[in-house]
Amino acid sequence: MPGRMESLHDLLAFISGNAARKGLSPAILSRIELVAEEALVNVFMHAYNQFEGNVEVHCPLRDDHSFTFEIRDEGISFDPLSLTEPDRNMPLDERRIGGMGVFLIRKMADQVQYRREGNSNILTLTFFNR
Amino acid sequence: MEIAVTTDSDITVFALQGRLDALSSPQLEERISQWLEQPGDKLVFDLGELDYISSAGLRVFLTTAKKMKAHNGKFGMAALRENVKDVFTVSGFIAIIPSFDTLGAAKDALR
Repeated sequence: MPGRMESLHDLLAFISGNAARKGLSPAILSRIELVAEEALVNVFMHAYNQFEGNVEVHCPLRDDHSFTFEIRDEGISFDPLSLTEPDRNMPLDERRIGGMGVFLIRKMADQVQYRREGNSNILTLTFFNR
Repeated sequence: MEIAVTTDSDITVFALQGRLDALSSPQLEERISQWLEQPGDKLVFDLGELDYISSAGLRVFLTTAKKMKAHNGKFGMAALRENVKDVFTVSGFIAIIPSFDTLGAAKDALR
């Protein structure tokens, strides 16, 4: 799909639909949807901030009780894990706005892997049922 | 997302319904910045009907909290659903914006 904001809801519906079929708890399904949004928005805003391109989402089937999805784009090299975390203990006046999406991805996904393959960014996110 | 704004004596309530995500948050941002041009002293976000929030929504909450603080106003939120509360807890925002179980409790606390 085109790597822009208009694709967000369709891509989220695809990921959530696949996750729902795994019989995961509602709490995990909510976290999956949130992490998916944060990761996709990062692709739209950062990987494709200079030119347009497509986003592919794969949900590989697994026999265990985990759920994995993979986001692939051909934007500029962008490793969300390289961003620094916001300081959650900062007082209100000093809290910075940026970086919260990546922070939520790290906290809510059980495994996060980034790799650059040729011209592609590939982010793999895994959740375990509990 | 639906936004219903009501004022009960000196407390303004923004009731948010639906999804507050990267697509809909500009809508809230615009509505709240209009209100903040001539803000009241007391503001509550009623989240009883809010199904979902992402960092784009948190961003609007943080900006609002800063602006309310800057003019010595009071700001709170009420009736967070489990998944919405989870996002506030994990992000640490739960410590920044006072949260109440019900809209009534929020209004009582702000009075």
